[in-house]
Amino acid sequence: MVSSTTPIINQSSIGPLIMYPFQRKTDLPFEIQPDFTFLRQSIHARRANIVVNFQDLYGFMVQGNVDDVNVLNEVREKVREQGRVWWGMEANRGANWYLRTYASSGDLKSSLRFSVLVNGMTLKKLIRKGIPPSLRPKVWFSLSGAAKKKSTVPDSYYDDLTAAVSDKITPATKQIDHDLPRTFPGHPWLDTPEGHAAVRRVLVGYSFRDSDVGYCQGLNYVAAMLLLVMKTEEEAFWMLAVLLENVLVNDCYTDNLSGCHVEQRVFKDLLTKKCPRLSAHLETLGFDVSLVATEWFLCLFSKSLPSETTMRVWDVLFYEGAKVLFNVALAIFKMKEEELLMTLYVGDVIKIIQDTTHNIFDPDDLLTVALDTISFMTTNLSKQRKKQETVVMEELDQRLRRLNTRKLSVKS
Amino acid sequence: MRHFCFRIPTTTIHLLRLLADTKSLFQKPTDDLLDMATTGPSNLNAKLVLLGDMGAGKSSLVLRFVKGQFLEFQESTIGAAFFSQTLAVNDATVKFEIWDTAGQERYHSLAPMYYRGAAAAIIVYDITNMDSFTRAKKWVQELQKQGNPNMVTALAGNKADLEEKRNVTTEEARVYAEENSLFFMETSAKAATNVNDIFHEIAKRLPRGQQPTQNPSGMVLVDRPTQGPRASATCCS
Repeated sequence: MVSSTTPIINQSSIGPLIMYPFQRKTDLPFEIQPDFTFLRQSIHARRANIVVNFQDLYGFMVQGNVDDVNVLNEVREKVREQGRVWWGMEANRGANWYLRTYASSGDLKSSLRFSVLVNGMTLKKLIRKGIPPSLRPKVWFSLSGAAKKKSTVPDSYYDDLTAAVSDKITPATKQIDHDLPRTFPGHPWLDTPEGHAAVRRVLVGYSFRDSDVGYCQGLNYVAAMLLLVMKTEEEAFWMLAVLLENVLVNDCYTDNLSGCHVEQRVFKDLLTKKCPRLSAHLETLGFDVSLVATEWFLCLFSKSLPSETTMRVWDVLFYEGAKVLFNVALAIFKMKEEELLMTLYVGDVIKIIQDTTHNIFDPDDLLTVALDTISFMTTNLSKQRKKQETVVMEELDQRLRRLNTRKLSVKS
Repeated sequence: MRHFCFRIPTTTIHLLRLLADTKSLFQKPTDDLLDMATTGPSNLNAKLVLLGDMGAGKSSLVLRFVKGQFLEFQESTIGAAFFSQTLAVNDATVKFEIWDTAGQERYHSLAPMYYRGAAAAIIVYDITNMDSFTRAKKWVQELQKQGNPNMVTALAGNKADLEEKRNVTTEEARVYAEENSLFFMETSAKAATNVNDIFHEIAKRLPRGQQPTQNPSGMVLVDRPTQGPRASATCCS
């Protein structure tokens, strides 16, 4: 686990936590650190603040300090506690009790039954507190609608699809191949030949299922995380399908990312409504929120938040829908509102945001703000989306026309 | 008080910065340029954007320039990534605010957000890949049409260490660059060839003494004393 020559400064008694003192920066997988001057530490500071590398619940190497390691251990304990609660529910209400809820039953008559309503409310609360990693594959698969989607096609659909397209070469497959070693490089499973092959089959398979999406950079990270959670390729594939086809807004990943543009604008308006002072301040700095939020919405936070925190966001995403992405994005700004109000440069804003997101090791810190402090109406969201859709389409269209006229004038 | 590790609340840093107006203390000129940085009347903040095909090596160039490192497999960039690095040129320091953009074609629609108000651009292609050169030409056209007219634009033929796999000749790129008044260099992020040079050359070419542009995220001239970088650089590891 740890080579004997490596001094171990703190071996946690619970969980297989690997730690070794921070030695050379060049050994680490690259993380985005906007202003490296801040990271240069004096000897004094370093002693008080030992930087360690440790492996998190999903095998990612994380860099943090001793406090972060302690937080992560507390999170492990909380996860175990949640596990006991969930297993208790199964024992009390029967296995798969969560399938008998309003959201998934669809049948209006049965959904009005008292027990179903109670189950629904309990479930929502429970999911917001986190699904235990061991139950995640099962709960996600049924509650997201992936199971239903899979049941509409023959059982052999995924195997047939991957077998049929395994030798095909398209622009999408070339881009996928290019990105495989660049998807969470250094991860103990993802960055192995088996890991690459699994991510490849899921992404290539999906690129043929929906040729409008094909392959969009960002999906590599999403598919990789889904594989880590779901354990089986086939289930990861169906999760990806339900995500793109049902959970997220349309056209997030297609041709010109128009859906993503729409979400960014809706988010910008929401921030103006919820944090007017901050929004005005960022405006004067010339900082557009989409500078940081585009990655959040396309990778669903997997590239920005620690893995268990990302998974907790996805727990809610698969049960309550894409609205939670706005809650979480708003919460990140809200959590650092005072600090952000004092920034003078765009670079400082990005620095604060990135330091914040990379270090939210306790998912509850984020989700409490995201789900309890911030609230808005889902109906408003769809109204806003519709409004922005027209604006975005018009703008993209205009831009395309401008670029095309230039081509003509170059030719003539 | 100048050694801040990233655990000290950023609020404190900002308060200190506001009180003492010692922004320059937090900027680190690269070591070889340190002597030149200690004198000089002004700091220049310049927004720089990297554009180019997927896998051309945009992020690798930035990583080499900012951290002096190279990774064989660099995580694919989604949206864009931000970096800053300060260089000393002649009598001034130039603080680059670098936007490293995503290369896949469909991310093209996000690009204006990053090149709007930029003082400089590096358009990157891969010398082993003709398609990436074609794509680079498209970026040049787009900037000529939509970008800031005073923008300093560089063309970088990256992966110059892969001579045996070359598909774009130096001559072809040089002629194209001349025709379009770009300045051109072949670079290798892996071998650290011409990487600092290209940023340094851009810094030298940035127009001086002009008024800040209307766009706050564009180029802004800030007058600040620059004593201090030497001290802050020697006491940090």
